[in-house]
Amino acid sequence: MAVRTGAAPAAVAVTPTHHRHHRSRALPLVYLFLAGLAIFCVVPFLWILLASVDPHAGVHLQIPASVDLSSYVRFLTDPMFSRYILNSMIMAGGSTVLVILTSALAGYALSRFTFRGRRVLMFGILMTRIVPVSATIAPLYLIVQYLKLVDTYQGMIVVLAAQQLPLAIWLMKGFFDTVPGELEEAAWVDGASRLVSAFRIVLPLAAPGVGAVALFAFIESWGDFLTPLILITSSDKTPISIGLFQAFSYRNQVDWGLLTAISVVYMVPTIILYLLVRRYLIKATVVGALQGAG
Amino acid sequence: MIARRPRGLRQHLIVAGFLAPALILLGIFVVAPVVWALGLSVTDWRLTGPSALHPKIVGLANYGRLLASDDFRAAFFRTGVFVIFSAIIGQFVFGLASALALHRRDVRLKALWGAAILMPLVVPETVAAFAWSSMLESSDQGTVNRVIGLAGVAPVAWLQDNAMLSIIVVNIWRGIAFAMILFSAALEGVPQEVNEAATVDGASPRQLLTKITLPLIKPAIVLYMLLTTIGTVTVFGLIYFLTRGGPGGDTTTLAIFVYERAFKFFEIGLGSAASVIMLGFVLGIGLIYVRLLRAQV
Repeated sequence: MAVRTGAAPAAVAVTPTHHRHHRSRALPLVYLFLAGLAIFCVVPFLWILLASVDPHAGVHLQIPASVDLSSYVRFLTDPMFSRYILNSMIMAGGSTVLVILTSALAGYALSRFTFRGRRVLMFGILMTRIVPVSATIAPLYLIVQYLKLVDTYQGMIVVLAAQQLPLAIWLMKGFFDTVPGELEEAAWVDGASRLVSAFRIVLPLAAPGVGAVALFAFIESWGDFLTPLILITSSDKTPISIGLFQAFSYRNQVDWGLLTAISVVYMVPTIILYLLVRRYLIKATVVGALQGAG
Repeated sequence: MIARRPRGLRQHLIVAGFLAPALILLGIFVVAPVVWALGLSVTDWRLTGPSALHPKIVGLANYGRLLASDDFRAAFFRTGVFVIFSAIIGQFVFGLASALALHRRDVRLKALWGAAILMPLVVPETVAAFAWSSMLESSDQGTVNRVIGLAGVAPVAWLQDNAMLSIIVVNIWRGIAFAMILFSAALEGVPQEVNEAATVDGASPRQLLTKITLPLIKPAIVLYMLLTTIGTVTVFGLIYFLTRGGPGGDTTTLAIFVYERAFKFFEIGLGSAASVIMLGFVLGIGLIYVRLLRAQV
């Protein structure tokens, strides 16, 4: 079953000969709505951006009287917060690698072989995507504790990876479906084994898809808050999501400049990565709805 | 068709071996917690105290206590309010309206509008919540208070006196893009000829929307309602960061309730019973979702 890797059938018949919209009187209202909505969506970030370069930053949105990068310098020289960012990188990076390896293998098997119960397995995997961490945190904590992985990078990495796997497997399977089997068969004729052909031929051809899976997994793990809230207890393993929360909630004196600078550093990677995966967004949002399980 | 049946032991082993790592991870860290939540919910297990060492099976007592508890019923009710107003109504209306606006041919700067609406969704939820802590600040210098001040309204202590309304607004803000993405994709699938034919036949814009467009994207609307309900029932970080379930439990939704039972009051058994009720609700909706998808493919 062929699956389009682009974002939905986006380019459906945009004919230039089309006559003008008959409701163009409503156009100013449409613009008014869009402008209002855009302001609503963006204004909260305005404070973060402005306060991060304002040496006199406060809790309120204000135009800086002067602009400097002292808050960013404080962040870079603060041993705790740079450690938090590093921890987030280790956890998100480690879980992304694990997700790619395991979902590529599983996606390949689901794409290239039919076997009894495959459809049930596919939809079972989809159901695991719906299981909310916020409902299962207590048993999850006990399981991780049983495995002696509480407050470890390894524990965070495997739990975060498991959370990203359902989407990753479905996307991988879809991307592998787009790589023609003939190419692989040609390689077998040349004596390559299944495993070699899978990694030498299919993986590179599905590379854009694999990259998208990696970025989605990274973004989700990078932003995760609840998992480290229950699994991480020591400050030298705290990721930035929890670090930001603690600095905001439990300190008497909040350094607004520092926290907004950290927020910028924390959110910029996800914004950049989102731009890269934008065309896969619909697929990831409605996983399964736009691709076949056949 | 690329997929084929595995032949011989070797290929069966390949299939099993390829699937195993992913399924083991899913099994231990996603499926097992669900099953264990069921098991724990019939015990009096606590993280501290005498029952931490010798938990007993108490049958359905936890469920009885839960259903009799005002705290739980209130959390259940609050979750309903939160889902209905922020997702079913708020995100839906704004998401559909923005998708319709961006679907118009005569609208310019679509990439810009789309990017602005997408921003709240792409940032980490702690940053989103942190940004709103400034917006909702209670003095007359808080951004929202300044805006309502323009209309002569006195400053409001949002997160103290109107906490539920606040988190509903924040969640609408965060989720508009999700609805917009889904409905934009659905609108792309509506043939332009249909709209044109209706317009030529004299349909008013309102008729076009209610009689043609909405019925045509109904599958997407159903899908959206299912997915957004699942996603909104389980929202945790956004609320916890801003209010920690307070003040006085005013924003303690089921997700916060479950967390507090287990990690603040250390009542694993009771918390797990609440988890199971939440899971039953979410997975029930999930089953409808999967059935719909299976009907489609």
